[in-house]
Amino acid sequence: MSSEIPDPDADATPCAYTEYREGEGAEELPATGEDATGVEADVWEALYGIEDPEMPISVVDLGLIYGVTVEDGYALVDMTLTYSGCPARNMLTEQVQETAADVEDVDDAEVRLVWSPEWTIEMVTEQGKDDLREFGLSI
Amino acid sequence: MAALDPGKLDARERNALETLLKRLADDEFVLAERYTEWQVRAPTLESDLALANNAQDELGHARLWYDVLEDLGFEEQALIYERDPADFRHATLVERPFEEGDWADAVLRSYLYDAAEKLRLEALEDSAYPKIADRVGKIRSEEEYHLEHAQNWVERLADGDEGHERLQDALDRLFPYALTLFEPVDPDVEDDIVELGLRDATLEELGEEWLSIVVPSLESLDLEPPVSAQVDDDTFEITEDMLPEERGRDGGHTDAWFDLHDELTHTYRDLGRSETTKIMDKPE
Repeated sequence: MSSEIPDPDADATPCAYTEYREGEGAEELPATGEDATGVEADVWEALYGIEDPEMPISVVDLGLIYGVTVEDGYALVDMTLTYSGCPARNMLTEQVQETAADVEDVDDAEVRLVWSPEWTIEMVTEQGKDDLREFGLSI
Repeated sequence: MAALDPGKLDARERNALETLLKRLADDEFVLAERYTEWQVRAPTLESDLALANNAQDELGHARLWYDVLEDLGFEEQALIYERDPADFRHATLVERPFEEGDWADAVLRSYLYDAAEKLRLEALEDSAYPKIADRVGKIRSEEEYHLEHAQNWVERLADGDEGHERLQDALDRLFPYALTLFEPVDPDVEDDIVELGLRDATLEELGEEWLSIVVPSLESLDLEPPVSAQVDDDTFEITEDMLPEERGRDGGHTDAWFDLHDELTHTYRDLGRSETTKIMDKPE
């Protein structure tokens, strides 16, 4: 049996073509709403309840939410996605929009997708990193 | 260069922006469509997944650019599913069908395209249209992997006799079409794109820089472009006689595009859709 398996190249290294970049964080990110008060704090808390569709981590801990403002009952959520081709884009943005709009004293909500600064692994909160490790990811 | 205010664009600015965005979006969209033809057909599982992933990235990038076109009053489904195929502005490189089972074609096309994409994105980094500049970082970081992937494959294939021969054949076929990446939609509008600061390099500059990178790189692997674009040691130029008849940017496409367009819009038409589908219904 084993004689049929060609000898691996002695110099070969696993995943020679993949470089796992950590990326740079942005100073004010991740945003977690910890300094938010009033209705804005309520929106942050509600958004904590939304999980990433593929991993058991809140979208806030994943670092997708860049900011929340509420003015005169109108909530504006700035959020990003981990990568541009994210197939769950509509699902996530709608869920965030509806969750924010459902918060008491919020009449309407809008989600603004932003791409700068770009999301990197550094945007994940410490709680988020724990959740991802628990899930089995090395981070 | 002063930033352009999306709410206060005059006709010239709108036209320049629309032209630039359609070039960008249509290239990515049609390239992704072609890449997906390799799904479950690539030579190995890993290469299959890699190309599928690149296709997904390109669709994501296309969408980022189509999103900006919405500032000008366009809608995504109209742009993709209801537009006359002759109004698509992609370069003909991305619409060419693959020679059946010819992985070298996919690899070389990817290399030629991604090398150009890198230069184009660099020239958009300080775009006077903020939404363009804001998207560049995200797209560049994903495109870096594509270029690395393509380069690695080109080098590996070039290392064997059959692979080398297939790469050379693909280069002979694709090179003229790759030059259309730098062709104008309309020369006057292309001037406006640069004068308004939407992109800070002209098509000529981008084309010459691209040639000065890919030609020596291919030659180092003993691959010869079918036409010489070299003026002297380090000067390159695209001339009229090097270009194919169909250049894409001006609406002239090869028959392969009309077939592909017919195929990709078939289900949309067949089901009488009026909007793009979503992964799932809105959650309760």
